[in-house]
Amino acid sequence: MTATSLTRKGGDASRWTMDRIGTALLAAAAPVLLGGCVQVTAPDRPIVIDLNINIRQEVVVRLQEDVRELIERNPGVF
Amino acid sequence: MNRHVKLMIAAGIGLAVVAGGTAYAFVAQGGDAAAAQLRATGLVGEQADGYLGLVGSASAEVRAQVDAINIQRRAYYTDLASRRGATIEEVAAATACQIFAGRVGPNQFYRLPDGVWRRRNGSEPVPRPGHCG
Repeated sequence: MTATSLTRKGGDASRWTMDRIGTALLAAAAPVLLGGCVQVTAPDRPIVIDLNINIRQEVVVRLQEDVRELIERNPGVF
Repeated sequence: MNRHVKLMIAAGIGLAVVAGGTAYAFVAQGGDAAAAQLRATGLVGEQADGYLGLVGSASAEVRAQVDAINIQRRAYYTDLASRRGATIEEVAAATACQIFAGRVGPNQFYRLPDGVWRRRNGSEPVPRPGHCG
């Protein structure tokens, strides 16, 4: 009788088979376990970024002198 | 593309190059009041983000001059930002605060973050952009 996969690998054929089944199950379950749902379609509205939110007021205050100088030195540009 | 079309395209490109070139000279020579002159035409206004903007439609020449000044401003903003640990946007916005307070002349145009062009009412102070504190 030829050996089937159930009996082929070393003596502990059932462990080998169970390992393979386990690996296959893990591979199938991984996306669900990791909780990642990938959305492939693009959003229907463009993404709007409001740059004004990113201005720190302390920077505006801190740069007051430098800005004043910048404007005074380059009257043609400002 | 027939010969006539090619000629028109070449002329257009040539015109743009000349406009750009004269605009650069306009600013680089320190057109000592390049920005002020543009504001005075009423075609160009100051924006709360620190740059000049076109109020309506304008000729290629005016557009080129505005671009040349904005490029120059961005260079200064970039320099200051790297020296003082701020982002370019922050430096630009901080500069706008002082431009609004001191450089927008009577009856000249300005634009707050809401994007609406407004005209300074005579010598009344220009409203202070929100981020200016």
